[in-house]
Amino acid sequence: MAQKITPTDVMLAVYGSPHQTELITTALRLTQALLDRGARVQIWTCGDATGLTRSTLGRTKPRNVLRWTTDYPSSASVISDLLDEYPDLLHWYVCRFCSDERGMSEQIPQVRRRPPFTFWDHTKSAGKLLTLGVC
Amino acid sequence: MTEHLLIESGGPSAGQGCERFVEDALHLARSGRSTSLFLVDNAVTAAVRGAMPVLDRFVGEGGELMVDSVAVRQRALEPGDFVAAARIVEMDDVASMILAADTRVVWH
Repeated sequence: MAQKITPTDVMLAVYGSPHQTELITTALRLTQALLDRGARVQIWTCGDATGLTRSTLGRTKPRNVLRWTTDYPSSASVISDLLDEYPDLLHWYVCRFCSDERGMSEQIPQVRRRPPFTFWDHTKSAGKLLTLGVC
Repeated sequence: MTEHLLIESGGPSAGQGCERFVEDALHLARSGRSTSLFLVDNAVTAAVRGAMPVLDRFVGEGGELMVDSVAVRQRALEPGDFVAAARIVEMDDVASMILAADTRVVWH
């Protein structure tokens, strides 16, 4: 049975590779700003961006030898916290094909993996769609 | 009236795509449409004086030029480094524009 898609004001399709540019940081900043205004937001990640929420990242990044006692949150941790903070406003979807292809099928529990052919249905459920980055 | 918000993230160092996207914004503004251009990430360097003359033409046609405050600070740029018409804005300002019902948005 087809899963119901929650309508949102804005959908961000995030295609960019996580560490190549500032794209992911900017996408998260925009997401936070939209949520702070009470907007309903859905994120769809494709390509390498599906790795942002893989569960194997854990809560923190590897220890920084220059700041031994400081914990730096992983992208999975940042996104997990954001989803916990806005459970009714923010929805995070991960392209199943892209994550499977990259060996990143294990995702944090708050995100939903979706088959790529449902992307169209998600775009129709959003008031506005922005596509960020290139696969 | 429909507002057009164009968001450029690549900047001059990413190739010709940035300038062509700004030219798209110029054409929209020239045709009388209300057009704003938001420069974020590396694209803020396009608004440094002399870096991209087409931006002056865009502003001359009535376009609104905005640059991202965080990207500006990350690059140690100062307000005086930019073309006079550039306005430094917060992401919250952009979110507000995106959510406006009559705004069309394109991210490049």
